[in-house]
Amino acid sequence: MPVVKVAQFVLLILSAPLVRGITARLKALLQRRRGASIWRPYADLLKLFRKEDIVPPSASWLFRASPRLGFAFTVAAVAFVPLVFSGGLLSFTGDFIVLVYLLAFARFLLLLGALDGGSSFGGMGASREVMISVLSEAPLLISLTAIAVTAKSASLASIVAWTQMQSFFDMSAIHMLAFAALTLVVIAETGRMPVDNPATHLELTMVHEAMVLEYSGPSLAFIEWAHALKLNLMVALLIALFVPWGIAGGAGAGAVIISAAVYVIKFFVAIAALAVLESSVAKLRMYAVPEFLGIAFALSVLAIVFTVILKR
Amino acid sequence: MLIPFSSLFCLLLIAPLVAGATRAGKSPIKWIGFSAALVTIAALICGAGAALVAWCRGIPVGLDLSHFSPFSFQLSLDRLSGFFLFIVCAVSIPAVSFSLPYVAQHYEKSRAVWYWSLLPLFLLSMTVVVTAATVFAFFLGWELMTVLSAALIYLEGDSEERRRNIFLYLITMHAGAALVISAFLLFAPRAPSLDFASIRTAAGAMAVPEKTAIFLLAFFGFGTKAGIIPLHVWLPRAHPIAPTPVSALMSGIMLKTAVYAFLRFVFDFLSGGPAWGGYLLLVAGGISAVLGILYALFENDLKRLLAYSSIENVGIIYLAMGAAMICMKNQAPVYAALALLAALIHSLNHAIFKNLLFLGAGAIHSRTHSLKLNDLGGLLKLMPMSGTFFLIGCVSIAGLPLFNGFIGEWIVFQSFLAGGKLSGPIAQVVIPLAAGALALTSAVAAACFVNVFGAAFLGRPRSPEIRPSSEVSLSMLLPQGLLATACLVVGLMPMLLIRPLWSVVETLIPGSNFDSVARIGSSIQAMAVVVLLAATATLAVRFLTRVVVRSSPTWGCGLAALTARMQYTATSFSKPLRTVFATVYRAERKLEVSPAEKLYFPEAISYQSTRTVSYEKLLYRPVVNSILAAAQQLRRLQTGNIQWYLLYIFLALIFMLLFMRFR
Repeated sequence: MPVVKVAQFVLLILSAPLVRGITARLKALLQRRRGASIWRPYADLLKLFRKEDIVPPSASWLFRASPRLGFAFTVAAVAFVPLVFSGGLLSFTGDFIVLVYLLAFARFLLLLGALDGGSSFGGMGASREVMISVLSEAPLLISLTAIAVTAKSASLASIVAWTQMQSFFDMSAIHMLAFAALTLVVIAETGRMPVDNPATHLELTMVHEAMVLEYSGPSLAFIEWAHALKLNLMVALLIALFVPWGIAGGAGAGAVIISAAVYVIKFFVAIAALAVLESSVAKLRMYAVPEFLGIAFALSVLAIVFTVILKR
Repeated sequence: MLIPFSSLFCLLLIAPLVAGATRAGKSPIKWIGFSAALVTIAALICGAGAALVAWCRGIPVGLDLSHFSPFSFQLSLDRLSGFFLFIVCAVSIPAVSFSLPYVAQHYEKSRAVWYWSLLPLFLLSMTVVVTAATVFAFFLGWELMTVLSAALIYLEGDSEERRRNIFLYLITMHAGAALVISAFLLFAPRAPSLDFASIRTAAGAMAVPEKTAIFLLAFFGFGTKAGIIPLHVWLPRAHPIAPTPVSALMSGIMLKTAVYAFLRFVFDFLSGGPAWGGYLLLVAGGISAVLGILYALFENDLKRLLAYSSIENVGIIYLAMGAAMICMKNQAPVYAALALLAALIHSLNHAIFKNLLFLGAGAIHSRTHSLKLNDLGGLLKLMPMSGTFFLIGCVSIAGLPLFNGFIGEWIVFQSFLAGGKLSGPIAQVVIPLAAGALALTSAVAAACFVNVFGAAFLGRPRSPEIRPSSEVSLSMLLPQGLLATACLVVGLMPMLLIRPLWSVVETLIPGSNFDSVARIGSSIQAMAVVVLLAATATLAVRFLTRVVVRSSPTWGCGLAALTARMQYTATSFSKPLRTVFATVYRAERKLEVSPAEKLYFPEAISYQSTRTVSYEKLLYRPVVNSILAAAQQLRRLQTGNIQWYLLYIFLALIFMLLFMRFR
């Protein structure tokens, strides 16, 4: 059992660049382009790791420390996510709050690193990122609370176990509302369209890209990896919370293999949906993002209200 | 335990005399501070020891000084007051030792003597407040605390504006004190003597309306001291203008005495308060937390910003106390205990990191002579130690894991998961929604302190006048280092705090079990291990791969080079958030371009943005105006003619006689 847990933890970290590659390839196919190989993000990372680290003269030790520590905190957050087994590497009461806060810490460090560059772009990206993150924190935690209250449990593992016991066709309004809210939050948090365009390099629109503009070499590699990892983690979290069926409850090798296969299918559906979404919508104006996240907030509040209305 | 407890008071009384005596002895300014600080710190160590024993072991200590005072004057320590006495004594030690270099740098000899005489007395007043066992003792401490802190603020400097602010501070504090004393006096008809033990028994026999009145008086009275919005107007005016160590004590510790007194009232005397009381606290706490940190984000002056963030943190404490009251009334004592535990933990944690940040602000000011965020920048390279300590403070106050601020917030969140286990439907909706308020608060707090640290310590210096020479002296670094270590220790080993605090909670909320909390410590440790492993693994990459680091100027987008003016300032950083929350601020912007005809090639541009939502105008002005109008009418009584005054006395006498006869 610990082997499976460690394996899913390592897999989630190592597969993060692949997820990025697949999304980019799917998007390319949808746009009638051939697109790059799905392995390209690995090649990018390897190349970056071999390059030199260029640091602005004004920067302090924090400039190089923050991408590395940010990566470490994102990796630590992965330890809580259930993938093919119903529990993560770590599981305890209130673990999903810790997960959210570990990601917040990673972002905190990245923002500091951006400001340490001392140019306008770092500040620009950081101030935009901070707006988005402030607005997405409340819907994120409210909808997680709604799910936890419905499942009458306070750790991810027990929530997943509870949801698995329910029938798929018996999904309550709470889950639908929380799912909608969380999806919007995940899009905003991971910097995907329509909140942020991961492919842009236009200073008027970029958020994440502006924030990391001063970085190069291994530092940039850590940032990009952590960014990809966050998407991987968030999607895995959505799957575990809302469609956990098929996830292995026991330790049998057969169950784990089936669970892994089912997970891959679920994951491809999620990624395909993301690619379709990204290809079909235009990026929102920055000051339309609060409205976007306002919808998420309203949905999450409704989810809480429904926890009382739909008493089981 | 009586000896350290009483020596706390004796030594704090001796310290001012020491300061005075050294002055008479014509010793240099350094020795005045040194001797007084030594006595004060010795007193605080004694006090912290006595507090620790009372708090953790639950051995009560009592001190009866009624012989020396006109009214009954008793001090006692139970677990709750032991905990708060520990906050007052232990956390103020760094601020006291930071005062040494601060006073030496800022004050001449006579003011230094005043400072070292007033500071121990201010600390003494706070210890009396948290250990008082009679109403007289409590009030003596409560009033002295206000007056002495006002005196310390006045010591820092004198100007028209400062006097106005001190006056506002004194007025609001006394208005609050009036409410508090009314709350105490409502017990008087039923309590044989005004000591806490008889108040406790009296409260049991009280009718609901009386209890409600007492609860409301205590809420508004102590809320004024704690700085709950909208009773907070004095706080961002009085705290920043005090000497920096005193600002730290006021924000970090003095506000907690109000929390203590309110806890004493609600959970000890009134055993939980009215059923709706929890909602009042939750809403007031939520509003204070969210608005407090949003106002902090708007500030450019570091000390004012920290003062606003104190409002936020007190808001979080009130949020937790409100959740505790709601859970208690809805048959979920375990969750109530969790929430109350969080309130206590956050009280201590806020004291630690707020002191750290204020001392950090003092260190910045001692080197740069400015606290305007838009003028600072790039200090981390010049002051690496102070910068790192300040960063630890910022991370802690933002409530991020591995540091102490996280522990309290995490436990509050866990109590918000009570949801379906509560008996009332309103509580079932309100409690989980409070999680949203707390999430928003901590997200804005993270944004705010990224902004603070980024503006002050990162990037390049924004103002040419600011050229810090070097790192601050060891006497300034040591107190900061102590507090920063405390942040980390509590963050990594919360059970050190949770276990003894649980026994405090048990005395206030019956029917709670420890098992649910016992897991928290091991959870935090498991998390810490994973984070540290991940961090070491990541950093190990450095040794496995050969990384060449090269310093190279950033591309200036076609210009010759980047200048400090091109980087984002604190104001521009918070701009998107200020736009989103524009309704909260209703900012009034003034943009001046000079000369006006050269609109596109100006020589100077000035931009000013002020917050127009003013509690003074909306809330206080009408009250003040009506008081003034009433006073205007009452002036007619004051004729200046002695016959009239004799008549008043005569009428009052007649009235009293009739009243006593026909009562």
